[in-house]
Amino acid sequence: MLSAKTKASNKVIFVVLCIVAVAILYPLLFILNNSFKGKFYISADPFSLPTGETFAGLTNYVNGLIQTGLLSAIGWSFFITIISVILLILFTSMTAYYITRVKSVYATVLYYMFVFSMVVPFQMVMFTMTSLADKCHLRSPLGMCVLYLGFGAGLSVFMFSGFVKSIPLEIEEAAMIDGCNPLQTFFGVVFPILKPTAITVAILNAMWIWNDFLLPYLVIGISTKYKTIPVVVQMLVGSNGNKDMGALMAMLVLSIIPIIIFYLTCQKYIIEGVVAGAVKG
Amino acid sequence: MEKTLKRYFAVFTLPTVIAFAFAFIIPFAQGVYLSFCKFTTVGNATWVGLDNYKAAFESGQGFTSALGFTAAFTVISVITINLLAFTIALLLTRKVAGTNVFRTIFFMPNLIGGIVLGYTWQQMINAILYRYETTIVSNAKYGFWGLVILMNWQMIGYMMIIYIAGLQNVPTELIEAAKIDGATPWQTLIKVKVPMVMSSITICMFLTLSNSFKLFDQNKALTDGAPMKKTQMLALNIYETFYGRTGYEGVGQAKAVLFFIIVVAIALLQLSFTRSKEVEQ
Amino acid sequence: MKKKLISALLCAAMVSSMLAGCGGSGSTETPAESAPAAESAPADAAPAADNVAPAGDSAAAAGDGSVYYLNFKPEVDAQWQEIAAAYTSETGVPVKVVTAASGTYEEVLKAEIAGSDAPTLFQINGPVGYNSWKDYCLDLSGSELYNNLSDKGLAVTGDDGGAYGIPYTVEAYGIIYNDAIMQAYFATEGAKAANVDEINNFAKLKEVVEDMTAKKDALGIQGVFASTSLLPGEDWRWQTHLANLPVYYEYKDNNVSDMAAITFKYSDNFKNIFDLYINNSTCAPGLLGSKAVTDSMAEFALGQCAMVQNGNWAWGQVADVDGNAVKEEDIKFMPIYTGVSGEESQGLCIGTENFWCVNKQASEADQKATLDFVNWMISSDAGKDYMVNSLGNAAPFSTFGDAEKPSDPLAKEMYRFMESGKSSVTWNFTTFPSQAFKDDFGAGLLEYCNGNMSWDDVKELVVTRWAEEKSATAQ
Repeated sequence: MLSAKTKASNKVIFVVLCIVAVAILYPLLFILNNSFKGKFYISADPFSLPTGETFAGLTNYVNGLIQTGLLSAIGWSFFITIISVILLILFTSMTAYYITRVKSVYATVLYYMFVFSMVVPFQMVMFTMTSLADKCHLRSPLGMCVLYLGFGAGLSVFMFSGFVKSIPLEIEEAAMIDGCNPLQTFFGVVFPILKPTAITVAILNAMWIWNDFLLPYLVIGISTKYKTIPVVVQMLVGSNGNKDMGALMAMLVLSIIPIIIFYLTCQKYIIEGVVAGAVKG
Repeated sequence: MEKTLKRYFAVFTLPTVIAFAFAFIIPFAQGVYLSFCKFTTVGNATWVGLDNYKAAFESGQGFTSALGFTAAFTVISVITINLLAFTIALLLTRKVAGTNVFRTIFFMPNLIGGIVLGYTWQQMINAILYRYETTIVSNAKYGFWGLVILMNWQMIGYMMIIYIAGLQNVPTELIEAAKIDGATPWQTLIKVKVPMVMSSITICMFLTLSNSFKLFDQNKALTDGAPMKKTQMLALNIYETFYGRTGYEGVGQAKAVLFFIIVVAIALLQLSFTRSKEVEQ
Repeated sequence: MKKKLISALLCAAMVSSMLAGCGGSGSTETPAESAPAAESAPADAAPAADNVAPAGDSAAAAGDGSVYYLNFKPEVDAQWQEIAAAYTSETGVPVKVVTAASGTYEEVLKAEIAGSDAPTLFQINGPVGYNSWKDYCLDLSGSELYNNLSDKGLAVTGDDGGAYGIPYTVEAYGIIYNDAIMQAYFATEGAKAANVDEINNFAKLKEVVEDMTAKKDALGIQGVFASTSLLPGEDWRWQTHLANLPVYYEYKDNNVSDMAAITFKYSDNFKNIFDLYINNSTCAPGLLGSKAVTDSMAEFALGQCAMVQNGNWAWGQVADVDGNAVKEEDIKFMPIYTGVSGEESQGLCIGTENFWCVNKQASEADQKATLDFVNWMISSDAGKDYMVNSLGNAAPFSTFGDAEKPSDPLAKEMYRFMESGKSSVTWNFTTFPSQAFKDDFGAGLLEYCNGNMSWDDVKELVVTRWAEEKSATAQ
C-alpha cells in the first residue's frame, strides 16, 4: 500500500519520534538513576551510573521515608482524591441535571456562577477561603473533600450540563409516568446515560486533586499529619536544615510511581477523557 | 415534570451549592471587599479605599515586573508548545510504527504534578549547569528558559492528543482531493488541514494560555523567583505578598483582584475570538 | 425496592456530608483505615495530640491542656520529637512539635497562629520579633521560667515592663576550624603563621588562607572554606550572622543599639571576609546558589575544607555525617576578622535570638500545660538532660549547675572564649528590620557572586532596604 517514498520518510519520522521519546523520558530516568547514589555524590557527577562507592542501595529511600512520612502522604492523597471525586461525580451531576432541566432564576444564576468560577484564579480566594475553612473546622481530610467539591463544581457542573442537554426529555418523562420520583428517574435513567461524561469528569478532577499543592498546603498545612504528596515533597526540599539530595531524588521517584501505574492501566480512559474534557471545556 | 423536580431542589443542588459557597462564593465576596481594606486576618479589616491598589504598583512590590515576566513567558510557551505539539501530532497521524507507544510516552509528563516536576527539572538543569560552574538561580535567563522547557515538556503531550483528535477528524476525501488537484504536502497542510482543525487550535491556545499565565507550582519549585525575584510570576508574587510577611495582606488581595481581572479579560477575548471563528465556518 | 434503598443511602450520604460542611461534627469518624501504618511524619510523635480534627476540641475542653511547640531549629527537630514523646509518656500531657523550614518561621507562625489549633509555645528573635507578635505574647514575669532566669536583663521586655520572651539558650558563632589541617599547614615550608593564636586580624587571616589555598593539594583539601551556601533560605550565615559584624561596629561607633537607617559604614569589611570565603572555597562562586548549609557542614565533616563559619549548634551536624573525618578534639573556634582596627581583642559573636513565648490567646488550660512543660524542661532532671545534652543548649537558668553545661567541643570553645577576656560581639541582628530585608540582602549576595551585581549595588541595596523595611515595620 505505502509507497517507497512514504516508507523512507516514515523511517526518518520514526527516528525523530524516538529521539523525542528519549527526551521526554530522560528526566525521569535521571532522578531514578540518582536516587540510588550517595547524597554527596549526586551534584558532583549527576550523569554517571551509580557504581562502587557512589552506589547507595536503598539508603535514600529509607532515609527519605523516615524524614517525610511519604507513605502516609500517599495514603492521604488517595483518600482525599477518591472521596472528593466520588462526591464531585455524585453531587455535581445531580446539580447539573437540576439546573439544566429546571428553568428558574435560581438555576440560571447558579449556572452562570459555576461557569464564572472556572475562570477565577485560585489566588483570588486563597486567603479568605483558608480562614473560612479554619473557622468552619474544615482543616481535615474530609473538610478538604468538601472544599474540592466546591472548587471542582464549576468545571464538573459545566461538563455534565452540556451533556444533559443532549439527552431527550422523552426518556425521563416515560420514567416519571411509570411513577418514579425525580431521584429515581435521575439514578435509574439519566445517570447511566451520563456515564461517559462521569468518567471524563472523574479523570480530570482526579488528575487535578492528586497533584494539587497550594490548597492542601494552605488548608491542611504542615502542622497536621494529613499531608498530601506534593506538600511532603515541598517540605522535604524546604526543610533546609536537613536538605538531603539523595532522599529528595528517592521521594520524587516514589511520588511519580503511583501516577505512572494508574496511567498505564487506565490509559485509554485518561486520554479519551482529556480530549473530551478539552473539547467541551 | 419540571415542577416535581423543582420540589427536589434541596436534594439535587444543596450539597454542591453549600460546598461551592464555602469554597468559592463567600471567599470571593470577602476577597473583593478585603482588597479595599488593611487587615492581617479576615476579622480585623479597616477600610482604606484604593490604597492597596496604588501600593500594588509600587516598584518594590514586584507586581509589574512579575506581570512582564509572566506575559513574556506566556507568549513564548504558548507558541513553542503549540508548534511542537502540532508537529508531533502530524507525525503521529502518519501511521508510523509504534504510534501508540509514542503517544503513551509523550502524554505521560502531563500527569505528574507541578511541584514534583519542578524539583525534577531543577535537579536536571542544575546538573547540566554544574559543568559550567553555574546554577539555575545564577541568571534570570536560565530560570526563564528552564520554565519554558519544563512547560513544553509537560504540556506538549496534552496538546498533541487534542491535535491528533482534530487531525483524525479531517475527512480523507478532502486530502485525497487536494492531492489529485496537485497540491504539495505543504499546501495540503496549510490550506486543508490547518483550517479543518481550527477548533482544536483554539482550544489548545486557550489551555496553554491560561495554564501558563496562572502557573504557580512549577515556578515555586523550579526557582522560587530567584534571583532577586526576577523569575517570579504573578501567582507566586501574590502568594509571597500574602504569606511572605505580615502587613501586606491587603496589597496581596488587591493584586489578586487585578490578576483575576486580567485573567477574565483574556478569557473574554478568547471567547469572542472563538465565537467569530465559529460564525465563519 | 432497590431504588428506594439507593435514595435512602443517598440521603444519608448527603446529610453526613452537609454536617461535615457546616459544623465539622460529621468528621468524627476518623478515616484511619486509609492512613498506612507506617506513619512516620515528624508531627506524629505526639500520639495523643490529635487535636487537629475538630473532635480534638473536646479533649482540650475537658480540662487538661495540651502543648503545641512551633520549633525554630530544623537541626534539632528529631530531638524535640523525642522530648515531646518522653514528656507525654511521663505526664500524659499531649505535646506536639512542628518544625518550620529555615527562613520560613515567621511565615509558618503566621499561618499557624491564626488557626484554631494555634501553637501554644513559639519563639521570637528579639525586640523586632516581639513587635510583630506582641498580641500573642503572654507576660511571663510571674512564671517559674522567668524567676529562674539567671540574668533578668536577657528577657525581652515590653513597654509595660512585663517579660514577654525568655531566652532558652546562649549561643556563639565564629569561624570553626579543623585543627588537624591547620597544624599540617603550620608544618609546611614557608607557612605564614606558626599557630592559630597568631591569626588575630584580617590581614593575617587572609595571608594564611591564601597560602593554604596555594597548598591545598598538599593539605589534602578542596578549599580552605566550606562552600558559602547561598541557596535561598540557606543564606542566613551571611545575611544575618556575618552581617552582624559591620552593624555591630556601626552601632558601636554611634553608641546606639538600633538605627532607623544605616550607612553600612563597614561594608568594605564585610566584603573583605566575604570575598575571602568565596574565593578560597571548595566550589566555584557560580555554584554557591545551589549549596545548602548541610552541604557546607558535610564538606567540613568529611575533611574537604579547613574552615566554616557557623555556630556551636552546628556540632550535631558535623558529628552526624557518615564518614566524619574530623576528630572531636580538633574542632575549634576562631573569631571572624574583617579588618576593623583593634579587632585583635575581638572574640566570638555571643548572644541569643531564641526567646520562648507563650501564646496569650491559647486557652488557659493550654497555657498552663505549656508553662508546666517549659518548667519541666529547665528544672526536672530529664528535661535538663535534654536541654543540655540533646539540644546542646547553654541554658541561662539558675536551675542549671556548673556541671550541667553542654560538653560538645564547640560549646566548650564558647565557654573558653567567654572566659578569655576577649570582648564578645553582641548579637545585633535581632534588630535587623525584617526577614524580607535579610532575604533581599542574601539575594544580593548571590547576584554579587554570579557577577550580576557590583559590590556598590549590594551596599546600596542594604542601605535602602534597611531604611524601607525599618519604616514599614515601624507602622
